[in-house]
Amino acid sequence: MLSAFKSIPTHMDYKGQKLAEQIFQGVILLSAVIGFIYGFTIQQFGWTVYIMLAGFTISCLLTLPPWPVYRKNPLNWQPAMPETSGENRDKPQEIQKKKKHK
Amino acid sequence: MCTNRHYNSVMAALTFGCFITTAFKDRSIPVDIHVSKVMIKNVDDFTGPRERSDLGFVTFDISANLQPIFDWNVKELFLYLTAEYSTKSNALNQVVLWDKIVLRGDNTKLNLRDVKSKYFFFDDGNGLRSNKNITLTLSWNVVPNAGILPLVMGSGHKSLAFPESYETAKSY
Repeated sequence: MLSAFKSIPTHMDYKGQKLAEQIFQGVILLSAVIGFIYGFTIQQFGWTVYIMLAGFTISCLLTLPPWPVYRKNPLNWQPAMPETSGENRDKPQEIQKKKKHK
Repeated sequence: MCTNRHYNSVMAALTFGCFITTAFKDRSIPVDIHVSKVMIKNVDDFTGPRERSDLGFVTFDISANLQPIFDWNVKELFLYLTAEYSTKSNALNQVVLWDKIVLRGDNTKLNLRDVKSKYFFFDDGNGLRSNKNITLTLSWNVVPNAGILPLVMGSGHKSLAFPESYETAKSY
């Protein structure tokens, strides 16, 4: 069961983050305009606040979880370089040299 | 969370919009005041510097339609009835006789009959007896969602005169 949890993705790539930011800004501005017009029409500011809160909830649901649409442009990492055996020998020799000087 | 900051600044802008659409409105309405009973006593006033002061008793009717005042930026009204007059010792006296809070959503048609004053109508001295001109006006303090809290006086007032002699041993 734990492996199922560990496989849930928790990241967005950079283009995805930009898209998420545009979406939540757009949703909040749209709910602000709708809320202002509706509240002014019925002369109750409480409804403007309710519509804004609904817009906030919708934008959270759309942009907080890392939906697959935000992972469409992953970074192209270089392939990993293989380690050579020469590197392994260097380190123990350095330690021996230091001990002799003392 | 960037959404919070964005939401906060948009909400602040909307609140300012609410304020600016109502900032220059005239919040005055016509008010009808009638007086049915007027009586005066001269009693011990423990709050003042002298032995006895005039105490007035006024029973009144108020009717007004408050609906036009309530817009989307008005949370409640604090109504108060003021008696204004002048005496030999003081040029201007203003005494609040009665008040009422009207919340948004409450009944806005005010039609009160035979209301007794809530607060004592004490004079600073003995200037109420035979005073020919006491003016009653209804004013209100507008409490908004956002903005200034103006004091507005209703248009319409009632003048009354106090009798020449004091009442004695009569219950109110």
